Amino acid sequence: MTDLALSNRSVAGLVEPARVPDSAPRVPAPSRWGRWTGNLILSVIGVAFALPMLWLLLASLDSHASWSIELPNFTLANFQAATASDKLQSLWNSFVLSGVATIVSTTASALAAYALSRRRIPWKGPILLIVLFLSGVPMSILIVPVYQMFAQENWLSIMPAAIFLGVTAMPFEIWLIKNFMDAIPIDLEEAARIERANTWQILTRVVGPLALPGIGAGAIYAFVNAWGSFIVPLVLISDPNQQPGPIAIYGFIGAANVRYGDIAAFSLLYALPVFLLYAIMSRLFTGGFTLGGAIKG
Amino acid sequence: MATMNASGAPAEMLPFGGRQDVPQRKRLDVERFQWGSMVLLLPALVLLVLLFLIPVGYAFFLGFTNLRLVGPTALSYHFTGLANVRQLLHDNVFPLSVELTAIFVVGSVVGTVIVGLALALLMRTANGLIRILVGGVAVVAWMMPAVTAGMTWYASTTAGGTFGTLLGLSSSDFLHSQPLLIVTLANTWSQCGFAMLVFAAALRNIPSEVIEAATLENASRVQRFRMIMLPLLRPTIVTTVLLVTLLTLANFSLIYIMTQGGPGNSTNILPVYSYQQAFSFNNLAYGALIGDVMVIIATMFGFAYVRASKVRV
Repeated sequence: MTDLALSNRSVAGLVEPARVPDSAPRVPAPSRWGRWTGNLILSVIGVAFALPMLWLLLASLDSHASWSIELPNFTLANFQAATASDKLQSLWNSFVLSGVATIVSTTASALAAYALSRRRIPWKGPILLIVLFLSGVPMSILIVPVYQMFAQENWLSIMPAAIFLGVTAMPFEIWLIKNFMDAIPIDLEEAARIERANTWQILTRVVGPLALPGIGAGAIYAFVNAWGSFIVPLVLISDPNQQPGPIAIYGFIGAANVRYGDIAAFSLLYALPVFLLYAIMSRLFTGGFTLGGAIKG
Repeated sequence: MATMNASGAPAEMLPFGGRQDVPQRKRLDVERFQWGSMVLLLPALVLLVLLFLIPVGYAFFLGFTNLRLVGPTALSYHFTGLANVRQLLHDNVFPLSVELTAIFVVGSVVGTVIVGLALALLMRTANGLIRILVGGVAVVAWMMPAVTAGMTWYASTTAGGTFGTLLGLSSSDFLHSQPLLIVTLANTWSQCGFAMLVFAAALRNIPSEVIEAATLENASRVQRFRMIMLPLLRPTIVTTVLLVTLLTLANFSLIYIMTQGGPGNSTNILPVYSYQQAFSFNNLAYGALIGDVMVIIATMFGFAYVRASKVRV
C-alpha cells in the first residue's frame, strides 16, 4: 500500500504542484514594516531592470525610431513588417531549433545527472571533472572544428545544428541537475527501492517529480541557450530558409537603411515565448514540495 | 503492488535458513556498480565525446599550427610548435585583455550573486503582484537573446539614451566614457534572473522546520539568514559563482554587439580578442591559441570550485 501512496503523492506533485497541502506557513511572516520595506526594495530593483527595455517598447511603436529615447509617433507598421512571412518562418525555425536542442540535452543530462548523483560509477571523479571542464569551454573555439566536421558529413542543416546546440548546453545542465538531485534526501528513493520499484519507476515517480524544478531550470537553460544563439546557426545552417530569429534581426541591420522600429518590434515578438516559459517556470517553483513532511510520513 | 510481488514470490517461499538462494545483487545496503548505470550515462557520453570533446581537442591542436582564414596556409596548414606561444608572450594587447576580462568577470559575478540572492529572498515575503512583475522582468532580461540585449543596452546608454535622458545628461555617451562599467552592468543585468531562479529553488529546499525552530528560539531575521540560510545555501552559492564565472568568461555576443571590443581596446576581453584575431585579422590559429588560454583559465576556476565545495568526487 505504501508505494501506492507514494506514487499518488508524486503524481499529485507533478500535475498540481501548487495544491500540495501545507499547514504551517513556510516563511515566518515579517512585520508589516518589514514587508513594506521588502516590497519597496524589490520594486526599485524591478524598475532598474525594466528601464533598459523601455527603448524596445517605445521604438517598436515609433514610425521615426532611432537609437535615442523619445515619445513615439504612434504606428503599428513596424509590427506589420516584423510579421512578414519570412520573419514568421524564422521564428518557427527558432522554435524547432530550440525545441530539439532542449529535448535532446535535457533527456540525456537528466539521466546522466541521476547516475552521477546516486550510482557508483567507475572514474566518477574524472568524469565529473571533464564535464566541469567542458562547461567552461567558450563556444567560439568550437565553431571552426565543428564546421569542418559538419561540412564533411553534409550536416549543414537545422537538425544537426539543433543537436549540436543541445550538446553545448549539456555540461552545464548535468551539473545543475546533479546539484539539485544531490540535495534530494535519498530516503524516499530507498523506501521506493525497498518496495521493489525498478529504476524506471524510481526515475519517473520519485526522483523525476522531486527534481522537477531542477530539471525545469536545466531545460529552460537549454532552450534559452539555443534561442539566443547567433554564431552557431549562422555558421552551421547553410539554407537561408532554415535560419532562426537572431539572423533575421541581423538581416534588418544589414538592410540598406537601418529600420530601428522594425528591429525593436521583431525583437519584442522574439521575446514573447519567454513570457510563456516564465509562466511555466513560476508554476514549477511556486508549487512547494514538502520534502520534510514526505520523510516523516 | 501485486505485479511487483509476483517476481519476488519464490524467494519469500523459502525457509528462513535459505540464505544462499537469495542472489547477492538483491542486497541494498552496499552500493555497487550496476551496468544499468552505463545505460543512463550512455546518451550523454556519446553526444559529449562526439560533438564536444573531439572538437575541443582539435581546437587545441589548431592553436599550435599556422592555419589562417585565407591565403596559402588556409588549407595546407601544419604544426608549428611554440611559434604562436612566442607571439603571445610579446603581444601587448594580451595582458590588457586578461586584465579587462578579470574586472569584467569579478564585477559581473559579485553583482549577479548579490542581486540574485536579494531578489530570491525578497520574493518570499513580497506582495503577489510585485513578485510576479519583478520576477518576470528579471527573467525576461535573462532570457533575452544576446543580440536583443546588446542592442537594448546600446540604445539605453548611448548619447540620447534612456539613462542619459533620465539623469538630465542626454548628450553624454556613457558607452563611450565608461565602456567597461556599462558592459559589466549589462552582463550582470542579463544573468541576475538566472541566479534568482537557482537561489529560489535552493531556498525552497531548506526544510521549513529548521527556520521555524530558529524562530521559536527568538532568532532575528538577520540571525536566521546568517546562521541558518546562508550555511545551507553555501553549496548553491559556490555553484552559482562558478557557473556565472564560466558564462561570463565565454560571453562573446553581448560585448561584440555593444562595443566590438572598443573604443580602442577598452572592452577587448579574451573571447572578443580571440574572435578578432581569428576572423578580423584572419589569424585562425592564433585566435585558437587565445581560446586555449581561456579554456585553461576556466579549468583553473573549475579546480578551485572543486576544492571550495568539497564536491564528493
